[in-house]
Formats: sequence, C-alpha cells, structure tokens
Amino acid sequence: MAAAIERLATDVLILGSGGAGLFAALHAHKAAPALDITVAVKGLLGKCGCTRMVQGGYNVALSPEDSVERHFMDTIQGGSWLNHQELAWILVVGAVERVLELENEIGCFFDRNPDGTIHQKAFAGQSFDRTVHKGDLTGIEIIGRLAEQVWARRIGRLEEHRAVALVPAADRSGIAGVLMIDMRSGAFRLIQAKAVLLATGGGPTMYRYHTPSGEKTCDGMAMALRLGLGLRDMEMVQFHPTGLLAGPETRMTGTVLEEGLRGAGGYLLGGDRERFMHRYDSRGERATRDIVSRAMFEEMRRGNVTPNGGLYVQMGHLGPETVRRLFKGMVDRCADCGFDLAGGLVEVVPTAHYMMGGVIFAADTSTAVPGLFAAGEDTGGVHGANRLGGNGVANSTVFGGIAGDVMAPWVAREGRIRDPDETVIDETIERCLVPFRRPAGDANALRDRLAELMWEEVGISRTAAGIRRALARLDGLAEELGRTGVAEAERAFNLTWHDWLNLESLILVSRAIATAALARENSRGAHYREDFPQPGDLATSAYTVVSLRDGRIEVEAQPVAFTRVRPGETLVAGAGVPRAAAAS
Amino acid sequence: MSEPRANGPELSVEVWRGRAEGRFQTYRVPLRPSQTVLDVVTYVQRRIDPTLSYRFACRVGMCGSCAMMVNGAPRWTCRTHVARVAKDRRLRLAPLRNLPVIKDLAADMTPFFDKWREAEARFLPSSPRAAATARIPPADPERAAADAAIECIGCGVCHAACDVVAWQPDYLGPAALNRAWTLVNDARDADRRAHLAAVAGDAGCHACHSHQSCATFCPKGLNPTASIAGLKRASALALLAGRL
Repeated sequence: MAAAIERLATDVLILGSGGAGLFAALHAHKAAPALDITVAVKGLLGKCGCTRMVQGGYNVALSPEDSVERHFMDTIQGGSWLNHQELAWILVVGAVERVLELENEIGCFFDRNPDGTIHQKAFAGQSFDRTVHKGDLTGIEIIGRLAEQVWARRIGRLEEHRAVALVPAADRSGIAGVLMIDMRSGAFRLIQAKAVLLATGGGPTMYRYHTPSGEKTCDGMAMALRLGLGLRDMEMVQFHPTGLLAGPETRMTGTVLEEGLRGAGGYLLGGDRERFMHRYDSRGERATRDIVSRAMFEEMRRGNVTPNGGLYVQMGHLGPETVRRLFKGMVDRCADCGFDLAGGLVEVVPTAHYMMGGVIFAADTSTAVPGLFAAGEDTGGVHGANRLGGNGVANSTVFGGIAGDVMAPWVAREGRIRDPDETVIDETIERCLVPFRRPAGDANALRDRLAELMWEEVGISRTAAGIRRALARLDGLAEELGRTGVAEAERAFNLTWHDWLNLESLILVSRAIATAALARENSRGAHYREDFPQPGDLATSAYTVVSLRDGRIEVEAQPVAFTRVRPGETLVAGAGVPRAAAAS
Repeated sequence: MSEPRANGPELSVEVWRGRAEGRFQTYRVPLRPSQTVLDVVTYVQRRIDPTLSYRFACRVGMCGSCAMMVNGAPRWTCRTHVARVAKDRRLRLAPLRNLPVIKDLAADMTPFFDKWREAEARFLPSSPRAAATARIPPADPERAAADAAIECIGCGVCHAACDVVAWQPDYLGPAALNRAWTLVNDARDADRRAHLAAVAGDAGCHACHSHQSCATFCPKGLNPTASIAGLKRASALALLAGRL
C-alpha cells in the first residue's frame, strides 16, 4: 500500500538553487515556457549553497590573446590528466557563452577596466589572466541576479525542502520523483516529476575544518549512491590553505580567508612565529594550494602550532593600510570576529573546500537513469584530480544551463510521470524516522568524531593503514548513529533531526571517499598518499568509480580516454610542451 | 546532551520560542573570546535545547539567511560578535521584525522576496546573449551610482528596521527600491523608465519618510535611503517631463 503522504506533480524538478539549479530553471523555462518547473532547495532560494560564496571569480577565455585551448590545457594540467576531456572542453567553450549571458541577459555587472571593457584578473595555476569578477563577492552578484530572474518568472519554489531519496519508477524504467521533507512542517512529501535535475552541490563538510555553507552535507551524492549510480574521482577533495581558525564551538572556524593574501606577499608562520614554507617549496607561501596545505598539515603534525592548534597568517609587514585597501572584505570580516588581519596575526588552518568527484554524467548532463540529470558539484569528471580557482562557478553555470536546454525537449519527447517504487518510499521514511525511535543521544558528538577521523586519516595526507582504520571506524560510526536518537518534540523546523540526517549522508559519502582513496595507489592533484608519493604513469591514467551494492561500497578503475590531447601534448599552437600549470 | 559547564563567565540569553504567539525562554551560555550571536544560538540548540529553530547557511556574511533581532536591533548574526552587542552579558533574541514567524527564530522571508517582484527589480536585457559586453568605464557616474548600491545580500535587516514597512504593508521597502535604483542607473537595461514607473506609485519610493533606519542597520554599509532619494528625484523629473 502506498504511504499516506502528500504527493505533488511537476514537469521538471530541480534540486538546488546554486548556479546549476537556477540556470537550469531559466533555460528550461525559456525553451518551453508552458513547462511546470519547480526548484526545491534545502535553504532559501538563492541563499544557500556555494555558488553564492564565490569570492574569486569566473574563468573564461574572452581576450583575443587568450583562447579556449589555453583554458582547456590549464584545466587538464590542473586536473593531472584525470579529467573527462569532453566535459572539460564543454566547460571552457561554454564558459564564454555563459559569462556573456550573465552580463547581457541576467544582468550581472562585472568589474571593468578603465576603458570600460571587462576586467579579468590573475588566478593561480593559469597561463592567462582570465578571471571575470565583481569585486571579491562575485558569487553574490551572480546568484542575486539569477534569483531575481527566477522570482520574476512562473517557476515554482519549494524552499526549506530537504531531498531524502531519488525515487525510481516501480518498473525501474527511469526516475519517478524525489521524496522530500518539508522542513518547516516536518512532513514527508513526494514530488513526482518527468525529469529531475540533481544540482544540490557537494561540500566536504565531513572534515574538521571546512569552508562550505552549513547546510551542505553531500545529500545529493548520498542519494545518488543509494539509487545505484556510480561516482567517480571521490578521493579528490580540495583543501584551501587559509581557513580561519577561531577556536572550538564557533561557526567562523574553517571559513576561507582568500587566496590573494598569499599571492600579495602574506607570510605563514608556525607557532614559533617563524616562516616555514620555504622549507617545503622554493615558491614559499605562493606555492599552489595542495602544496601549501600539505606543508601546513606537516608543520601542525610536528606540533609547531598556535594556541588553537593551527598556524598564523601575517600581513602587517605589507603595511596595515595597504592590506586594508587590498583586502577590505577580509579585513572587515576578521575585525567583526575580533581579529586584526591588517596589522596582527590571525590563526589559520587548511580547510576542506571542494569535491572534484561526483556522479558520472554525460555531456548533455544525462545520467545512467532515464529522466535524471545532474550538474555542478554533484558531478565528477570536469575537473579531474584538482580544480582551478574560478572553474567551479563556470562548471555549475555552464552545465546547469545545458541541463535546462536538454530537459525541456526531453520532457516533450519522452517525459512521463512514472509510478514510483513504493518500497523505496517506505524504506526511506522508515530510515529517516529511526532517530525518533531511539533514546535521545548526542548526534553532534558523533559528527565531531567523524570530522576528526576524516581530518586525521583521509585528509590532506593519507596512508593505506590510516584509510583502513578510517573505514573500520566509519562503519562503527554508522552503527552508533543508528542507535542515537533525537527527542521527538515536534518535527517542524527540527534542526536536530536534520543534523542527524546530515550526518547519515556525510558518513555514507565519507565511506565513498575513503574507499576511493585506498584504491588510488599514487598521488595526483588533491590526493596525496605518503606511501605512494609519485603520480604514476600519466599515459595509463585511470579514474576510480565507487558504487553502493547491498550496503557495501565497491570500487573499480576505469582508463581515462584522452579524446582531445594526450599527456605530453598540447592544444596551444606554438606552445610546444606546455609548462606545468599548477592546480589551485 | 552534555550539560553546559557551570564555571567561567556566562551569558544570559532570552530566546523567543513559538510562532506569532510565544514567550521568551532564558538560557545560560558560556561566554567565549571568539563567539558570534549565531554561535550562541547554535550552542543552545546543540547543548541545551535541541528543539530550538533558527536559520543560517554561509557563516560569513554572504548569504543573508541568519538575520534576527538582537537586543531589539536587526543584525546579521554570523558576523555579530557577542562582545559588541551583549550589554551586561545579556542577549535578547527574536525573529526578524516585519515578517511572519515560522518557528522560534526563523522568520518567513517570502513577503520580503515578493517585494522584489512587485518592484519589477530585475534586469531587462537589451543585447543579445552573445554580444560583446557594454563598454562602461568604472568612473562613469551612473556606474558609480549603481556600484554604491550593488552589494546587497538580501538579508532583510533593512526591511526589519523600517517603520514604513511596519505601518504600510504594501510598501516596497528599502531593499527592493535599492535594487531598482541600481537598474535605473544601468545603461545596459532595456527599459529604465519601466523600472522607474514600477516604483513611482503610492507604495513605492515616495512612501519613504527618510528615517534612515535602513542605512543605520545595513550590515554591508549600504545606504538605501540615498538610493530611494535618487528614485524620488528621478521619478519627479520624469513626471514633469511627461515621461512617466
């Protein structure tokens, strides 16, 4: 018998309201204005998620002296040759169209040169200054404008709706819809849809220090695993070197202090107040994100730490006034929290920032399940082993727009409301209600233990022994969570219940990360194995694919197809062997 | 739940519990050197009372989800350090004013977003998608006027601070009008007159009494009152010229 829950139907259901979700909604609406489109989001439309938090900007080859081939080569070298090259090509070509669309149609007012042309700034790991931006708050300009365009159209929105299962058709012919919890009322709600876009974003918040927004807990990847989809490159988790370390029990800890601080000449100091980076890399503090993060981790492991267990960033030697002028946003933010970035020392720590891995998807954003599409940080393959700063927002907006373009005609051609698999609905409801059937416990203490475990054993520097320990303990944490309850006061806006559900997603995706990390016995991009420090043979590069089978995470290796360029070659005319661009 | 430690300095925090009807409940939270109002609320939910509801997302002043009334004033809580606002180690926290309450500290921001639509505060394109971007120097006076108002995060603080919003429910409010001003100054927009017309009515810019509360409390340091004054001037001139 079908569960007695509210059931709604829509033509296109979009999960997430970052760059991918909002572009998909606008493009699908433009392609077929009569379509019933619904955007469902865990927070408020346009307010949660990570596109909004973009500080740096948007990589795009606009200048006549630049080229999409150069952008492509930077992306492939940054990704240590693991990228899906067709997806990376679509990224660099699509970025040109999308950034013009953002400026000309959506209304983003990007910063200009004195002559009125678009300003493009330098960003690490790139052979050309190609990052379009609006000050250091580019994400707000992009998402704010997109949200205004969505509000103005007949596009439905379900805010504070948490997706808990991608529900397949009873006959397994495709996707039937998404089971959600209306967080405001606490009620389950099935949204049946002809097409579903998975665009919830990633967000490696299972690490002790992390940058993403608080609601990000890898729910999309967890749902994809449960549906049986394969996820690639899950061992590739990017750490940003300078997260703010404000002490325990403050949500400020882990948030990003921008890349530019090091680029401008900022120093990193140990607890002994001495610089240390030159001992690790001749570029010192200006080495790439992965190298600086590893050096910092090593220094912390040696115990050369600040009172809160991190390191210091020092800017004052550049002149406090200069620092204030160059980094107003960062100086203000630190000052609000009681720290003097311009003149004093601020404690920092490497912080988990972005997941390069995710759901395997095709160039038209389709997945292995008919009717289910995916775009943005939920997906894997575009960035390979590491992501260039400025390619994240390009990824979500380029592929989100494509998803909208593709879903509209797909719905007209093949779309239908399919009967949902009621077993999946019943089992998911049962799973979500587990905490109300157990004695109330402290799920947040479990989350702290998860964060500690992932940080120590599956973080910046990994070994087989450590990853194996982590896998065993992750199983233990999952069991403990299953015994840990939440006091059932009322289900409406019950954050503690959602903390429990968040933790469930995080533990499952942590298992996927650890399994992939154990399988990759070399060091590429963001993945560093102390026991296998070499990158391995580039010509025979393989990527990992994890999937969930009968409750176990399985992993396999797939060869990378060098469809456009092989290691040692370049697409940049006259460049010879391209210089090693570093990922950042 | 682990009990809060009893030793060390503490804050006394009164928190609104309930919906339109409700009451303040008092909690004792340890005072820490690095502590925002959002951290205080989080402590209560994680360590004392797991049923407390509130909203946040980015933690760094970019998303505009976490604003609430702090000792009577609207503030972004993720970047409001306790030391700056706690008088005699006391905090009184309530949901954002001028909006319906969903539960406890979470306000329903839908009416605030609806104002954007009512003000037609969204860019109207004039160039095809693939056209070269408009050449507008940063020093252009209109661009400078748009830039001064552009970095709104939609947090609702001005909406909560504004007395006209409280008296006149259909008033478009400082945030939507501030956005309209950026569009009126945007040379790329296809119909700047339409933007002006949309905010020139009784519920629009002329309803503003210039109390300046929006500018006083805007956490981004924007001045919506100045933007609205600009709209008043521009719409009056357009009216005189018969263009409205």
